[in-house]
Amino acid sequence: MTALPQPVSDPTATVAPRIGARAVCEALVREGVTTIFGYPGGTVLPIYDVLREFPLRHILVRHEQGGAHAADGFSRATGGVGVAIATSGPGAINLVTGLATAMMDSVPMVAITGNVPRALLGKDAFQETDIVGIALPVTKYATVVMDPDEVPYAVAEAFEIARSGRPGPVLLDFPKDVLQLETSVPYPEPYQLRLPGLLRPTRGDVPETDDLAEMIASAERPLILSGHGVQIAGAVELLLQVALRSEIPVAHTLLGIGNMDETHRLSAGYAGMHGWMHVNKMIQKCDLLIGIGCRYDDRITGKTSTFAPNARIVHVDVDRSEIGKNVRTDLGIVADAGDLLAALLRRLPQSEPRTAWMDQLAAWREVSEARSWHGSGAWREGRLTADYVVDQIGDATDHQATLVSDVGQNQMWAARYFGFRHPYRHLSSGGLGTMGYAVPAAMGAALGAPERETWAICGDGGFQMTMQELATLVQDQIPVRIAVLNNHRLGMIRQWQEIIYDENYHSAELLGPDLVRLCEAYGIPAWRATRPDEVAGVIAEARKAPGPALIDFHLDEAQNVYPMMLPGKGLSDMVEGASE
Amino acid sequence: MTAPRQTLPAGDADAVHRRHVVSALVVDRPGTLNRVSGLLRARSFNIESLTVGTTHEAGKSRMTIAIRGDDGHLRQVLAQLERLIEVLEVTDLTSVPRIELELVLVELDPPPTPSEELALRGILASAGGETLSTDPDLWRARLTATPDVIDHALESLRGHGLRSLVRAGAVAMAADPTTPSNENGATRA
Repeated sequence: MTALPQPVSDPTATVAPRIGARAVCEALVREGVTTIFGYPGGTVLPIYDVLREFPLRHILVRHEQGGAHAADGFSRATGGVGVAIATSGPGAINLVTGLATAMMDSVPMVAITGNVPRALLGKDAFQETDIVGIALPVTKYATVVMDPDEVPYAVAEAFEIARSGRPGPVLLDFPKDVLQLETSVPYPEPYQLRLPGLLRPTRGDVPETDDLAEMIASAERPLILSGHGVQIAGAVELLLQVALRSEIPVAHTLLGIGNMDETHRLSAGYAGMHGWMHVNKMIQKCDLLIGIGCRYDDRITGKTSTFAPNARIVHVDVDRSEIGKNVRTDLGIVADAGDLLAALLRRLPQSEPRTAWMDQLAAWREVSEARSWHGSGAWREGRLTADYVVDQIGDATDHQATLVSDVGQNQMWAARYFGFRHPYRHLSSGGLGTMGYAVPAAMGAALGAPERETWAICGDGGFQMTMQELATLVQDQIPVRIAVLNNHRLGMIRQWQEIIYDENYHSAELLGPDLVRLCEAYGIPAWRATRPDEVAGVIAEARKAPGPALIDFHLDEAQNVYPMMLPGKGLSDMVEGASE
Repeated sequence: MTAPRQTLPAGDADAVHRRHVVSALVVDRPGTLNRVSGLLRARSFNIESLTVGTTHEAGKSRMTIAIRGDDGHLRQVLAQLERLIEVLEVTDLTSVPRIELELVLVELDPPPTPSEELALRGILASAGGETLSTDPDLWRARLTATPDVIDHALESLRGHGLRSLVRAGAVAMAADPTTPSNENGATRA
């Protein structure tokens, strides 16, 4: 056991003194940050005062929650670390929803907040709040930086914590005078970081894969359930190689969308509460379920006692604390998804096609797709349905676009019907289920991955939660296309009330503005579609816009998302629902 | 620094509800206690006792946490505890031979008779205790023993003029110094 590294490095290694605010900006540049999302205020003004000196593009958001989601979207679309800045008190507190969203979905992010000067801390000064105390449960790490000499290390360590192992958000709180005082401490080299308690996954071969390879060899109906961890590990190609080598079909979770081209013969599809029936039947029928980089969360498993009843369950995750948390686990392996898949590839012989198992999948798939809203084709009767809109956006963009969904019915329709082909193109608040995520996160995604077209898909409820960011989209001409699936309802609430609460509709109807005229006021080109035959045309128009654009799709209001797993039920007793 | 990979046993199969004694080596920094207790609170654990003190190494503190819970649930929480940046090492001492002691200060009515005094001193001795002061109107004493013995002695003292008490909470260390931290075998530098 080694002694803890001392707080500050070699005192002889100094650089020209600069104030804390410059040290923060310098650190961001050193970490490769190009774009930051922020909102100024009294305690962070020292940073804004020097911001022009650095190659950092600052996007002035309209609310700090928008800044946090934008940083999150930037991270997810690029694989980098998004940065959000907010002032003390209300500014910092407004970040919290975005921090919790990133925490639940393992998204690396660094939030920088100002606080009142050190001498005023704890004295209820104007705009003072204990943001570190508030942020603790919803961040991977949060701390207040109390000494200008600590600034370079604090920022470097924040980035290292955010992106290492299982990623997550980090909050750094700077009292204003720490940003104003000078320090000569240089930016640390990676080896100088003082993080003795940071869990870093062991890299390299995974010996336990021997056990998994044996289980695969003796399985007749194996299934891989792939989650977000595969994309975080950059292991999409390895997953495909393993699937091809072992002839094992691959299902995915909500955040696992993009792990495999959905049109690939070995892609089983989207599993869970509103997943495809054929995928859920596979889970219930398989004799070996291999979860890789997923959490086996309640939206996947339903009632855990009836989950995958015929299977030996394998769980691979980089985070030890996930294993055995939700489901019984016959084999748990703590490893990076990429390392595990590479280890598996080294051990697996080429398998013969699993004809009977794949034929079963094909038969189930045919039935479940025919029963779906899309398969049943209400749109052919002239009714504007969400599945048709999402499908048309997918086709129009050749399935290449980044698609950011909000939360609720729109999220499930996007997951089911867009037809994803590539990783890092589907962004959604899967764990926390944060309504209002789509528009600001799409803003960050569009700036992070400008080479790709970016679409936000939201309901009229979620859109109204963060629509103040329309002004940001205009000011910085950020080319986000927004598709509002407008049913004038809180659709998922209405669906639950219809099915579970005896049609007792309370607070499900939602008054909203005329979105086309709203966009006119903002200077955003906008269209409305009410019939299926208008959809392709307005999508084509919106795609031509050089900056932001919006389409208000007035949906058939009674459409529900099916199938549906009711609360307390399992994957075997899902409601398939009426398709009209 | 790096945790060795482990093949982990089945998760929540073991639902034995019992008292656990956990030892955690942590970074001595403002907020560490808040993080540890906050994590336990968020999972609805009621902490029986939590002691914290410095160690032989500068910058590191040792926590001993006594807590009741199901084995499987607690194992998962300890893995979450281990994730905290300020936590260097977590060891569940529940199932291993350990040395466990607790300090208690008590205030007592002075014994009215010599035979009462003899009984009182006997109880104190049974729990590694002794009197600290014997003023005519108030006696003070300390006990140092395992929590079980302490519980038993305190129960006896109720019949011998126990006025009030202050318990320090359990401190514990593994009897075998090679006991790995975390029952899953993870250790870190």
